[in-house]
Amino acid sequence: MSDATPGVVGRTQRRLSALSPATGVGVALAVVLLGNAAVQETGLFIDQAIGGLVYGMILVMVSLGLALVLGLMGVVNFAHGALFMLGGYFTFTVMESYGLPFLGALVVAPLLVGVVGIAMEVVVLRRLYGSNPIIGLLATFGLTLMVEEAARFVWGASGLQPSKPGYLTGGTDLVVTQVGTYRLFTVFVSALSVVAVYYLITNTDFGLSVRAGVQDGEMTEFVGVNLPVRFTAMFFLGSVIAGLGGALRVVEFGVDPGTAEEFVILAFVVVVIGGVGSLFGSVVAGLLVGWAQFLVPVVLSSLAVVTGISALEIQGVGRLIPFLVMIVVLLVRPRGLFGEEGLLE
Amino acid sequence: MSDEVTTGRTDRPASVEPETDPQSAALGVENLTRTFGEVVAVDGASLALESGELRAVIGPNGAGKTTLFNCVMGTLDPTAGSVYLDGRDITDAPEQRRPHLGMARSFQSNQLFAEQTVFENVRLVVQTARRGAFSMDLFRSHYDVGRDRAAEIAETVGLGSQLESAAKNLPHGDQRRLGIAMALATDPEVLLLDEPTSGMSPGATTQTAQLIEDIRDDRGLTVVLVEHDMDVVLSVSDRISVLDRGRVIATGPPEEVQGDRTVQDAYLGGMREEL
Amino acid sequence: MSADSETPASRVPDTPSAFEQYRIPLGLVVLVLFLRPVVSSDLLLGFEAIANRMLIIMLFVAAFNLLFGFTGLLSFGHAMFFGFGVYVPAIVVLNGLGGLAPGGSVTFFAGVALALLSVGVFSYLLALLIVGKGEIYFALLTLAVSQAIYFIALRDPWGLTGGSNGLTRGTLPEFVEQTRGQITIQAFGASVDWYWVVAVVFLLAMSGLWQVVRSPFGRTLIAIRDNEQLARAMGIDTTRYKVWSLTFSGLLSAMAGVLLEINNSGAAIENLGVLTSGDTVLMAVLGGINYFFGPITGAFTWLFVEDFLTDFEVWHIPTTELAIVSVDLGPALQFWQFFLGALFVVVVLTSPEEGIWGYVRTLGAGVKRRLEER
Repeated sequence: MSDATPGVVGRTQRRLSALSPATGVGVALAVVLLGNAAVQETGLFIDQAIGGLVYGMILVMVSLGLALVLGLMGVVNFAHGALFMLGGYFTFTVMESYGLPFLGALVVAPLLVGVVGIAMEVVVLRRLYGSNPIIGLLATFGLTLMVEEAARFVWGASGLQPSKPGYLTGGTDLVVTQVGTYRLFTVFVSALSVVAVYYLITNTDFGLSVRAGVQDGEMTEFVGVNLPVRFTAMFFLGSVIAGLGGALRVVEFGVDPGTAEEFVILAFVVVVIGGVGSLFGSVVAGLLVGWAQFLVPVVLSSLAVVTGISALEIQGVGRLIPFLVMIVVLLVRPRGLFGEEGLLE
Repeated sequence: MSDEVTTGRTDRPASVEPETDPQSAALGVENLTRTFGEVVAVDGASLALESGELRAVIGPNGAGKTTLFNCVMGTLDPTAGSVYLDGRDITDAPEQRRPHLGMARSFQSNQLFAEQTVFENVRLVVQTARRGAFSMDLFRSHYDVGRDRAAEIAETVGLGSQLESAAKNLPHGDQRRLGIAMALATDPEVLLLDEPTSGMSPGATTQTAQLIEDIRDDRGLTVVLVEHDMDVVLSVSDRISVLDRGRVIATGPPEEVQGDRTVQDAYLGGMREEL
Repeated sequence: MSADSETPASRVPDTPSAFEQYRIPLGLVVLVLFLRPVVSSDLLLGFEAIANRMLIIMLFVAAFNLLFGFTGLLSFGHAMFFGFGVYVPAIVVLNGLGGLAPGGSVTFFAGVALALLSVGVFSYLLALLIVGKGEIYFALLTLAVSQAIYFIALRDPWGLTGGSNGLTRGTLPEFVEQTRGQITIQAFGASVDWYWVVAVVFLLAMSGLWQVVRSPFGRTLIAIRDNEQLARAMGIDTTRYKVWSLTFSGLLSAMAGVLLEINNSGAAIENLGVLTSGDTVLMAVLGGINYFFGPITGAFTWLFVEDFLTDFEVWHIPTTELAIVSVDLGPALQFWQFFLGALFVVVVLTSPEEGIWGYVRTLGAGVKRRLEER
């Protein structure tokens, strides 16, 4: 792991330096606003910052698989949110019906989602590689509808939530505020899995062969790589990590059939902001969106305190934020923060 | 241009500089450069066509012919340099303006409105030529616009008997001819044809070459022809420009360019046999 | 036009007969005349109100398809235009507008005018910003913008939209009368069945749409759908055509929304939601996006199946002692969207542009050929 670190840092620097000066001004402004909020309402600010981190990490986990399939195979997989949702449902079932402990469920449920993902890839997705992305979007949209209906049939229309294991229920004291232990656990597990997947794709032969296959399928097959199997394996990986995200989330927030669409839309937002074709972009954008959604309301309310303009204190503005960010990013910089130019345009 | 040296074989380039001023030519290209990242596809190319001239642009694969073509037509933006049409600088005119200014193209690959009939393909271009790049023409039926003219143009290229066939069902050669018909339907003064005979049988190639000459003679068009088939190039063109690694290395009448040493070097001898 | 003087000896294909040219509007009239009697027969759905809803949704999906089927732009957020049409008149009727009293007839029409004006301006400006971004980005941007609007409406700004409850009281103008679920329109001392009002608006709007599609303007849209690069090279300003296509599509969608406002006596947050947008895409593709009657077929199929299958068990409850099968079938058929979703996936994977209507046409052509062979 440690050999990869300088590479990642170097690349990060290069990528950051490629951003425009206007971005720098924006970042500076953001720092001032955030600083103001941190001073005004320190406890709330840290609470929200951690909430945003948890949420952002979950978004990264859903987005990684989506970004992989989109960047590598050119398929806009609307059904990816359904995999995330299934992660939640499977966790509920293995815990409540089969009595598996939470940590066990955290392993079993994502693997089950991976199996569903393989089925999805082999039956539908494989037919879509290289075809018009709109067709892919439509087909996977239909697939989502089917999975949602199936979930409604099996688990019912209302939300389900397994009970949290005792050792993760308490709070952890962080001097100025108390943070739920489960939240810290989520951040830990998700960070670990995201780093692992990222490493696997950018730094191993496996990831390299798949990326080479995308560049030149015939040549890669010629040197003895079985591409369809590797594509399937890649899809399995994306499904598992989405399923793990769903499993982590269900314990705290529950799951219902609407979860699939809610999260796939957010994942699209993340991938588009980060830039199609860049996994790194998806990671950054996921965290950015998570924090933006949780911190903008605090920033606005503390700004309202400073300026005395109470109109700034808008309730429930958070859920609007990801879409506003996406619209602005696409209009100013269509390829996203770190995307390659020309993809899907 | 008639005072160019026209003696047979010579060691010096036939002509590297444009013969007339591109800024006042029927179609002029001045120092046009286009790069893709590090790659320089077109490198300071200049051309100047006289009105009514049929100019072939040849060169080895990867010489930058299609890129030059796309820059002239506005499909790509040139990195540097200018394009002139009849003395007007049109470098910044968007692609869709150019047919209305008097220049039209055919595509190298068969670009057609594949699901529509031959007739509708041509009629739609006639309609666009008459109504402009955008027209809120909402209150008539499409049956009222451009039918006579479309049939006439289809007849010119020899597709008069296949008006009702779907474009996608035409044989390859007829699709190329339909492409030429659509370019003609814009009523151009300058016509750019990108490899109009590629993939055709020898018979169809001769027919198409004849068609190109006829169009030029009947309508007095200025024609740029990017072409691989040397027989076609030598038989129809007034002058030839040779492109190599993005530069125009020679321009002159066919026999002069044929004998040019630089050109022979560019084709690495292999092409010399063919010539 | 140098060649215009040449002899026009070339054959011009015959223009189709008047019947051929006008068969779409004729078909629309037939549809409106027969839809209600057919669906309300006891053999099928057995109640009349569904026919109103069908016509409204058909108009909406057809408006969506002007953009997708005829211009090649997939909007995944069309509910926003529809929702504008539902919400704006409802808000205006509820609160009044300027000197116009709440609930007045004039107030309602002012609301309709405001709705169309705002949708026109909104969709035009939105189109200017996003039509040049590429197909997939267009789909995602429409989705994002409509989600943003959804969340704004959900927040109930200035108490106008009613948040998650929507607007249900005081949203109907005085000329609308409701008795036991039946809507009638009181105008100039006469009382008109709501279905016929919907039918007239439907026919007018659909005829307008048909005229757009068959005009030189509409043929240009089709050319852009078929091959945008070629269209541009042939001198078509593709961006401006796309912008106007989205604007027309938005306006007609808002028209459908206005009808739904009266039909449902108010506005619901779901009218703006992503599911409404998604259903529109599903209906259009199921029906067949390449055909004028495709969206109509798709909307009919969708709503028919929804009602027929969801009511299946209810319909069978009195006969459960006799027909045990229906008890088993009912709960499964409630999840009709699963089966339509499967059908949709099959359509997309096999012939994404043909749909049910394309299939019907092929069948019809086959039958016709057989008959001619005899």
